Amino acid sequence: MIEGFRLGVFSRGVTLWDGLDFAFGEAAAWFVTGLPSSGKTLLLSILRGERRPDAGDVVVSGESLYRGNPSLARAWRASCGYVPEQAIADARLTVGDLFRRSALAGGGVRESERMDRTDRLLEMVGLPGALKWRIAELSISERVRACLAAELLRGPKVLFCDGLVADAGVPFWEMLWGLFRALAREGNTVVLAERRIPERWALAAGDPEPVGPFRVYRLPGPAAEVKGGPG
Amino acid sequence: MSERPSLLWVDWRLSRGPLVRESIGRFLFFCLLGFALLSLLLSGGASRFLAGRYAVTAVLRADVPSAEAEGLARKAAALPPVRSAAYRDPETAWKEFLRAYPGLDSLRGAGGNPMPGYIEIRIRPDRLAAADVALVVSALRSVSQVEQVLAGEEWLPRLLRAAELALWACWGLFGVFLAGLFIVCRLQERARAVALTADFAFLTERGVPAGRLVFFRAAGAAVSGFLLAAAGTAAAGGALFASLRTFPFLERGIGPPTDLLLPRTIAAAVLFSLGAALLSAAASLLGWRAARSCRK
Repeated sequence: MIEGFRLGVFSRGVTLWDGLDFAFGEAAAWFVTGLPSSGKTLLLSILRGERRPDAGDVVVSGESLYRGNPSLARAWRASCGYVPEQAIADARLTVGDLFRRSALAGGGVRESERMDRTDRLLEMVGLPGALKWRIAELSISERVRACLAAELLRGPKVLFCDGLVADAGVPFWEMLWGLFRALAREGNTVVLAERRIPERWALAAGDPEPVGPFRVYRLPGPAAEVKGGPG
Repeated sequence: MSERPSLLWVDWRLSRGPLVRESIGRFLFFCLLGFALLSLLLSGGASRFLAGRYAVTAVLRADVPSAEAEGLARKAAALPPVRSAAYRDPETAWKEFLRAYPGLDSLRGAGGNPMPGYIEIRIRPDRLAAADVALVVSALRSVSQVEQVLAGEEWLPRLLRAAELALWACWGLFGVFLAGLFIVCRLQERARAVALTADFAFLTERGVPAGRLVFFRAAGAAVSGFLLAAAGTAAAGGALFASLRTFPFLERGIGPPTDLLLPRTIAAAVLFSLGAALLSAAASLLGWRAARSCRK
């Protein structure tokens, strides 16, 4: 369980938001929507333990992320995967480099296992044989899918994705829907931050919980889903 | 080798091309430094050359029998600074004199051979110092059979001082090149740290402690620095060995090729490699720090 208590952020001389409470249960996919500049990326970095909130605290499995033992926060970050909004920072790399780097962060992925899993993950996100492709030559959709696959290489317990669904594009929504459900079924938690949720996903998720400038949806698991694939 | 990825080789895993180029450059630099180091160690600057040219001559009295003179030469050879001591009887001394000054046969008249026998004493290159020469000279002067000791004591101290200065100049030049290598390594490490900023940020964002990253990078730099320096020095040693074998006249200034295999030469090469490892680690740490301060 990831909980945010009375979270507040003061930025650019104003209060971006204050007193927000979040609770993201385990083994589920969560969808946080908000308007541009509402602080979605900031919220994700606070939940990942990267940026200390100006008010409130984040508690993971009963342990404070910012007021507790720093090694716990580090262990938490190590258990998280993060697909950021696409920038040009990694343009010099190849897709294979993303996986190599991800394996280094994991520290426990063997070379042979990495190669094996890399091929399967790239195929899963619709990029078979893309290992040697340069990031600079990929479209935004291909970049986010490559990044997602690289993050999944480590098998993170919690996956944070910033703008992934929108950047991946409509043709890949069904794949992503299936992937998030599969991850939740295996006990992982997925937190997605997007400007808006695809209409069918919103229908399947039901009414969102309003939290400050955000709307929080819980995507239904396989058992709860009654209307079939929303893709 | 374990397949498990380690942070020890994090730069190798993230930036192979530039690292290979840098390593080749460093290896060549270490070859040059290793060649200079071994040459300096073996030659002692100008010491070996001077030791080859310099000799203490103990002129014996005319009535000293050959057997006694040879015994005296053996005793002189046993002195610690002495490399060799050879007795030359009066007849040999006369022949040497004639070779040096041809046409003076007439000096050997009715009085017979005017040249006395003498002992030629050579000093070991590593002991060619005023104190050691004085030790040999005083030991010879105290012997009653010795009439005179010729050791060039008037000009020797100045010559030794000049040789010492030359040796310091050589080591200074070596130090300058070592410092140059360190500066180049630091700049390379800094450039690499800057280029890999996004990757390091990626790793720290995912729970890899920055301190651990810095430590393992420095450790990796130290290990690779040691291996490159050891390989470079070994290659330089091989080249020097081949040069000394091919051009024997070089031995007069540098020394015999077998001296390369002496334990003290090998120990010096190992110490040099360890020093290179420390310098590489320091360059890595300073490069990381400089890269971080650039980002701030």
